[in-house]
Amino acid sequence: MGRPVAIIGSAQTNHGKRFDVTYPELVKEAVDAVFEKTGISPDDIEGVVSGTMPSMMEGVALTHFYFAEVLRSVGKPILKTETCGSTGISLAFTGYYWVASGMADLILVVGSEKMNEGDSQATMTTVLEPFYQRSFIAGAPGVFSMQSQEWSVKFGIPEEKVRAAATRLSVDHHNDAFDNPHAHIKKRLTEEEVNTARIITYPVRLWDVCPNSDGACAMIFASEAMAKKLGLKAAWVKGIGYSGEEYWFGDSEKAIWQCAIDASRQAYDMAGIKNPRKELDVAEVYNPFTFQELLYYECFGFCDFGEACDLTLKGTFSREGELPCDPSGGTLCSNPIGATGLNRAAEAALQVTGQAGDHQIPGAKLSLAHAMGGVDQFNGVMILGSEK
Amino acid sequence: MKKDYNTMENVIRLPHKYAAGQTFARFYNGLKESKIYGTSCPACDKVFVPARSFCPSCLTNLSDWVEVSQEGEVVSWTYSNKEFFGMPGKPPVVIALIRLDGTDCDFLHLIGGINKDDPDTVKSSIKKGTRVRAAWNDDKIGHMLDIKCFEPVS
Amino acid sequence: MTNRVGIVEVAMTPGVESKDYFLDQVFRVTKEVLDKAGLKRDDLGTVISASSDVFHGGVSCASSYYWDAGGAFLKNGSRQDGESLFAFIYAVMRILTGHFDTALVLGVCKGSENPDDDMLTHFFTDPFYQRQVGLNETVAAALQKREYMDSYGISDEQCAGVVVKNLENALGNPYAHVKKKVTVDDVLASQVVMDPLKAMECAPKSEGMIAMLLAKEDLAKKLTDKPVWFEGYGSSIDKFYLGDRDLLEGQLPNAAKRAYDAAGIKDPKKEIDVAEICEPYAFQELLWYEDLGFCDRGEGGKLLDSGATARNGEIPVNPSGGVLASNPYVTRGLYRLAEGFLQIRGQAGERQLDSKVNKALAHSTHGFAGQCHAVAIIGS
Repeated sequence: MGRPVAIIGSAQTNHGKRFDVTYPELVKEAVDAVFEKTGISPDDIEGVVSGTMPSMMEGVALTHFYFAEVLRSVGKPILKTETCGSTGISLAFTGYYWVASGMADLILVVGSEKMNEGDSQATMTTVLEPFYQRSFIAGAPGVFSMQSQEWSVKFGIPEEKVRAAATRLSVDHHNDAFDNPHAHIKKRLTEEEVNTARIITYPVRLWDVCPNSDGACAMIFASEAMAKKLGLKAAWVKGIGYSGEEYWFGDSEKAIWQCAIDASRQAYDMAGIKNPRKELDVAEVYNPFTFQELLYYECFGFCDFGEACDLTLKGTFSREGELPCDPSGGTLCSNPIGATGLNRAAEAALQVTGQAGDHQIPGAKLSLAHAMGGVDQFNGVMILGSEK
Repeated sequence: MKKDYNTMENVIRLPHKYAAGQTFARFYNGLKESKIYGTSCPACDKVFVPARSFCPSCLTNLSDWVEVSQEGEVVSWTYSNKEFFGMPGKPPVVIALIRLDGTDCDFLHLIGGINKDDPDTVKSSIKKGTRVRAAWNDDKIGHMLDIKCFEPVS
Repeated sequence: MTNRVGIVEVAMTPGVESKDYFLDQVFRVTKEVLDKAGLKRDDLGTVISASSDVFHGGVSCASSYYWDAGGAFLKNGSRQDGESLFAFIYAVMRILTGHFDTALVLGVCKGSENPDDDMLTHFFTDPFYQRQVGLNETVAAALQKREYMDSYGISDEQCAGVVVKNLENALGNPYAHVKKKVTVDDVLASQVVMDPLKAMECAPKSEGMIAMLLAKEDLAKKLTDKPVWFEGYGSSIDKFYLGDRDLLEGQLPNAAKRAYDAAGIKDPKKEIDVAEICEPYAFQELLWYEDLGFCDRGEGGKLLDSGATARNGEIPVNPSGGVLASNPYVTRGLYRLAEGFLQIRGQAGERQLDSKVNKALAHSTHGFAGQCHAVAIIGS
């Protein structure tokens, strides 16, 4: 349904602490890079989608004005998408729908963040309204720690096993990041270092958590005719899904996380995927917390509920495993929030077009990209394939 | 804001420390030396002030620095005698767009050195085309308001 | 894929300050629009909302806050920031793709919870330059008005005439915030806000929760006797720094042309039966007349004086009272669209135009001095 749409190019900045540039200069890096890589002229772009976390993060509101020139959007229509942490994938959806609806053939999508200029956890705390929840939730880690406890208790997974599986993910991803030129945190960690690191919010420790990264990602969506005309390698959008739960954190259980399950099923249905672990070649899962990544494997049907730890420890989801997850290092290693979800789509696109360089999964043809947002509230999934 | 129904008040204070990047850092240093710098775009043959790292028209990265004239013409102005959030100083203020000589964009700043009792007195000193010149503070910290204001050239 | 997208129903709050809790207001308009259309929440396809965290009572990640109140629980939804017509067109796109049969376009803004609009618009500035010189939307508008007057001889009286027209039109609008009969002298005598702007020339700060239900063509015809069809849309954004822009030659002509071309309109003044445009500062209505092609450059004041844009004129503008009567900032675009919708369906009550309304134009702007414009055309 809808016209076939492909991602025909993407570019990421180097993510990290970017005090060398202003926010618009950072965005310009990604936008300039995507035009240089693809050879497309900015004049041919028909519209631009931009997005970033809410204004309190960087202290500039309606950033689409601030970036108007660097987005090459002056004189053009724009859309400005924001859905908290899932912004990146929602940006990709906006670009997709703009083309799939027939209203345009070539759309630029840009996500960005410059978190190190502000206090990101304080900003996150303003996601909660002041009447009730704001006093109790100290930024993001608290929420995800509670979710992790809920999940491990529900499925009777011993604490040591959860810890071991999470540690495995932390060690692997931080190591994998050395093969990703854009990644922020690249580190050779030992299990002991991860297990004994400083507690953030129990059971989450320092190396279980994503960094605050500055970065931007630019991506170009094209219709079939335009993709053909331009002759660039195309990653076709095969399926998309998104779902959101209540604003109130205690309202729905988060162990069997319905909106994550629904988002993936919507995408699988559209893409005709019945056995994700078998059929997908690589998955870029949004993993700001190692513990939460385990939960996603289950909610996305990569394994049964309660099984993720065992399979992780077996290496099923490692780069050499049956379904490599986050070979780029994922959100755990780089989290410029407004761009992160888009980075997942960019990485998934690079994989199925054979352009992921040192972290390429050989022969990848079908990939999954995912982002999560809000206080465990939103999940969005996109399936990309090398065939239309 | 006093209301006649139940409310809850919340004040949010968030700190931000902005990376100035090389261009603004150099521009601010120029202000400290009582100089106003712009950058010129070779492709568009235009000079922009404050100095930019890229041309707003053609997006070329800019590296040609120019010390621009501190004199120019008033393009538009507005007057306020009422305090507002972020006001550059105490009321009354006159904020203006000024086309500095030799540049290709308008510079947003303040008009001073005139009677600011009310709009009519301002109008007797300032109108579109009035020539003005930068007046500097003694203590400069690398901030737009190191330039105290622009005053009419007699 | 579907051919056409229809607007089926609309529900909105009045602009006056309400003591109701934010989420209750959102819930009410959501429920009302679904009830009016006879649609159950389960049957609703997608929810696209428009809000702006900065106009949002200090709650970030706006769509998180009102997600379930806005009917989106376990639904595939999304959000546009700052401009409600962006949400409208995104919802249209989603239906055109064929993925969804219906879409709820939800606009969310509670002016009474926010500090001054000028305090909030101050944060559209960059921290290095324009913020340090105190720029906000009213400063930018004042600078623009002065240029307009200097260049084309527009008078304060003509600008005041916009206020007189719109506030009087609003008397027939139960949703408006400010509605009264005023004279040009009243406007001219009001306090100087930012010269040459007087207080009565500047829009208020209003409530504005609005829910609009869209459906694909065949379903729209089932859900309502008189669907109003989406015919065209255009939008365009200007450069960032105020001083880099020509404040009298902005992006509205570009946005309007895109919308007119999409809707097949060649002579807007003739073919459009009612225009609802955003005029947060009275003089801007005159400038937008010119940009929309209703008259030549510099002739906006003359057009107003001729009575052409009055309720029974050739091209009625803002029979709802416009933004001067009610300004929920982010959602004012959807309110313009809603008025066009009601006028086409003959449901505009006291303010229903005498002439037959088949085609309506809805315009919205946000940012400094008309930095971004969006225009939508709808028809019967």
